[in-house]
Amino acid sequence: MTAYKDSKISLFLPHSSASTEINKTGSWRYVRPLYDEKTSPCGAACPAGEDIARIEMLVSQKLIPEAWETILEENPFPAVCGRVCFHNCEGACNRGQMDDPVAIHHLERFLGDEAISRKETPKIETRPGNGKKVAIVGSGPAGLAAAYFLARLGFGCEVFEAQPEPGGILRWGIPTYRLPQDVLDKEIDRIEKLGVAIHRRSPVTGEMLETFKAQYDAVFIGCGYGRAIDLQIEGAQKTINGLQFLYNIRARQAMSLNAKSTAAVIGGGNTAIDVARTLVRLEVDPIIVYRRRRQDMPAFDPELQMALDEGVKLKELLAPIHIKEVAGDSASRLPAYAVTLQKMKVSTTKIEGRARVVPDGDKTESLQIDHIFTAIGAEPAGPWQNRPLTEHPALSLSHCELVNADVPIACGGDLTNRVKSVADAIASGKQAAIALDTYFKSGWDAVEKAVTGCRVGPGPAVSMSMYLSKKRQDRNPHIVSYGEINTHYFESAPRTIAPALSPHDRRQSFLPVEYTLSKEAALEESRRCFNCGICNACDYCRLYCPDMCVIVEDSGRNINLDYCKGCGLCVAECPRNAMALKEEDL
Amino acid sequence: MRQVAEGSQAVSEAVRLAKVQVIAAYPITPQTHIVEALSDFCAKGTLNARFICVESEHSAMAAIIGAASGGVRTFTATSSHGLAYMHELLHWASGARLPLVIAEVNRALGPGWNIWLDQTDSLSQRDTGWIQMYCEDSQDVLDSTLMAYRLAESVNLPVMVVLDAFFLSHTYEPVDVPDQGPVDRFLPPFLPRFQLDPANPGAFNQFVAPHAYMEMRYNIQTAMEKVPENYARIAEEFEIIFGRQHTPAEAVQCGDAEIIFVTAGTTVSTCRQAVNRLRSKGEKAGLLKLKLFRPFPVDFVRQILSGKQKVAVVDRNCSFGASGIFAQELKAALYQAESPPQVYGYIAGLGGRDVTPETIEDIYWQTKKADRPRTENMWVGLDQETVESWQR
Repeated sequence: MTAYKDSKISLFLPHSSASTEINKTGSWRYVRPLYDEKTSPCGAACPAGEDIARIEMLVSQKLIPEAWETILEENPFPAVCGRVCFHNCEGACNRGQMDDPVAIHHLERFLGDEAISRKETPKIETRPGNGKKVAIVGSGPAGLAAAYFLARLGFGCEVFEAQPEPGGILRWGIPTYRLPQDVLDKEIDRIEKLGVAIHRRSPVTGEMLETFKAQYDAVFIGCGYGRAIDLQIEGAQKTINGLQFLYNIRARQAMSLNAKSTAAVIGGGNTAIDVARTLVRLEVDPIIVYRRRRQDMPAFDPELQMALDEGVKLKELLAPIHIKEVAGDSASRLPAYAVTLQKMKVSTTKIEGRARVVPDGDKTESLQIDHIFTAIGAEPAGPWQNRPLTEHPALSLSHCELVNADVPIACGGDLTNRVKSVADAIASGKQAAIALDTYFKSGWDAVEKAVTGCRVGPGPAVSMSMYLSKKRQDRNPHIVSYGEINTHYFESAPRTIAPALSPHDRRQSFLPVEYTLSKEAALEESRRCFNCGICNACDYCRLYCPDMCVIVEDSGRNINLDYCKGCGLCVAECPRNAMALKEEDL
Repeated sequence: MRQVAEGSQAVSEAVRLAKVQVIAAYPITPQTHIVEALSDFCAKGTLNARFICVESEHSAMAAIIGAASGGVRTFTATSSHGLAYMHELLHWASGARLPLVIAEVNRALGPGWNIWLDQTDSLSQRDTGWIQMYCEDSQDVLDSTLMAYRLAESVNLPVMVVLDAFFLSHTYEPVDVPDQGPVDRFLPPFLPRFQLDPANPGAFNQFVAPHAYMEMRYNIQTAMEKVPENYARIAEEFEIIFGRQHTPAEAVQCGDAEIIFVTAGTTVSTCRQAVNRLRSKGEKAGLLKLKLFRPFPVDFVRQILSGKQKVAVVDRNCSFGASGIFAQELKAALYQAESPPQVYGYIAGLGGRDVTPETIEDIYWQTKKADRPRTENMWVGLDQETVESWQR
């Protein structure tokens, strides 16, 4: 107690210059706050398991190379995927419930292109050689991803590619207006620089596969579906295979198409869309003919929308049943065709969640057309590629299959994936790499557990970073929901729209349709990200703590439990649900 | 300069002139005009104060307690439920001996939800260790606010300047708003006797064991007892500078009075008029205005009322189960007085109901007719039909 005296009045007050630190208020606590990083919905939705919340956080902190390297932890193709991926992540983005999802694919593309233009060499973990050699069949996204991840894990990788250039579907199936060749070349270069050998013009046969078993410690088969499915109708031989057409365009092989002619594209997948959009650029007038409806199409809808904007037409609920050659335009001397189309109707039963369609009686219509393209799917080119060695023990994982036949053989990409996408192909290569590494380290029985152990949240995506026991491994698998975001901290802001060519300009050339975001636009867009579930050092926990218990250390933030009373303010204030309250064991 | 101003403006002008440094407030009718004007002054720069917007009255009081502990002059204003919400910290402020000044606009507590005049909100805070001053008109409000800072800082106790909802807070009347120069002479900058100082770390108001707590409380009581003396000195200086006289209580025509009204707030003005009317009819009526409620001006009250016949207290409040609070206080003060008068306690004008000169005259005649108080609390102006309706 202190007495303050002066002429007016005496004051008797408790005053101490002893530190109040003697009062360890932490003993009052019955709940304890903790930093509990969780899983972002985008990261769990990404087949490649990219740590998107962290990537956008690093961009917002202007740590551009670090953000890029964070993608490379999980995916060797940021510039490619920023362009061609169907960005499932954006559909899952919590920000979409506030205004619009973060433009994640634009940011990925920005990071990929930025690194390419600055000739960046990534600093990513690569283990020393383990003396094991893997033969990889096919240099599409699955094969190259397998090579990339296996090489990082210390395997010697040799990739066998039938075509003169690597890339598979990326090179031959995706037109340049979506993916320019130099972007693909730069990203494949980076994989080769890891020591991966790519044997070009080296098709693999079933017999070669047998010799691989003697020469290599393991094999990865990621050759995709090399053979297009043909129409089984009368006159089918008059049609042009869509994938072959796209290949010819990329290989700059001449096509005998008349400008101002018309074309029917049979199919509803991404290949059908790419064929139609390519035709538009060759001044051909295409109609996509699909036996189901638009909402049933396996093609990604934004791609279809762009096609429609460019002038492609769509006819739904029509299946070709007959093709007949008719007299064409006399000037061109080329034949024309009459396609008989069976009208279809939606049945009440469903298959795999998709509406089933059945013929609508005998109703037909006829289409008079100059060219017919088919894009109705593909299948493995050789029987040995199709789940080959079933007499051996096999393990079916979410994205790949592992067979224990003399040497372990892994299959990935379209051969095993339910969703035929580039991101899923990459996921299969990564999963196979983890499976093979575990097999050689801990044996067959350990594989499934190891793969499950590095899942991103509860979903199928696996993370190499988690496999390598990095910090991401410690995250809570709980996926942060919109309701768990403290939205008071965020203001509505429009999603960044990348500059793009007008539909009219797109029809004139094979130039890329969209541009990459500027750095300023990318930084602004990254700041829209909630960074769901991860600490971005915003420090609101520290600012709100009434007991000054949040300690900032090099390793991150920590709670001083000597004084924390467990009021939970920090947890309530955390804008992004990166904290949790836990009951004390009393 | 004379202006036509609301009672609320009189408060904010006084706070501006007092060069308050930190204001924290949460809006509540009918107080809001006060802090609205102050936030405007802060925005315009006519008052160099930090205005803290808080999420509740509890936080408003906590914020100015913190600011005053740091050694600055502070202000907040509240009303009714807002004051009730501050209750815990009202005790803290006086215990911590912080010379806070707040404006409290008397408003009824709910339910029934009511925003009009009722004194129960402030009177039910009588044991919190705050000095309370009840104002009669807008000039009284302005002067009392300026004096409140002097008084608070002289005894290190907080002061509540109390004004009636709407009858004062929202009523325009002429007010003399002094210039800054004379105010600066009257009210020099706040010189804290203790304050938090980062250069010399220390803690105030931590644990106090039984061996010292009682002395600490006695210290508050002695400070309260010092108030009348300090008030008188401050009022004297005020009169020299501004020419207006203020006293803890005021006796109006009490010399030969046989019945003396005792009341506070704007009802005093109504009583002044009623007394004049009664005098013109030959009745010996008088009036005692209570300005200070805490500390209660016991000596003054005894001096004026000893030997008188009857006192009629007009309470615009009620302590349920007892009586009007001013009446209780008055009876307690007179119990040990020599030949105390009879005390008639009237409860009137709750929740904004009008108390007119006629109401007061009615009270006068009732008091005159009675030979002793019928009950401890006589309710004036009740609607008999309503009362009977629930008694049936």
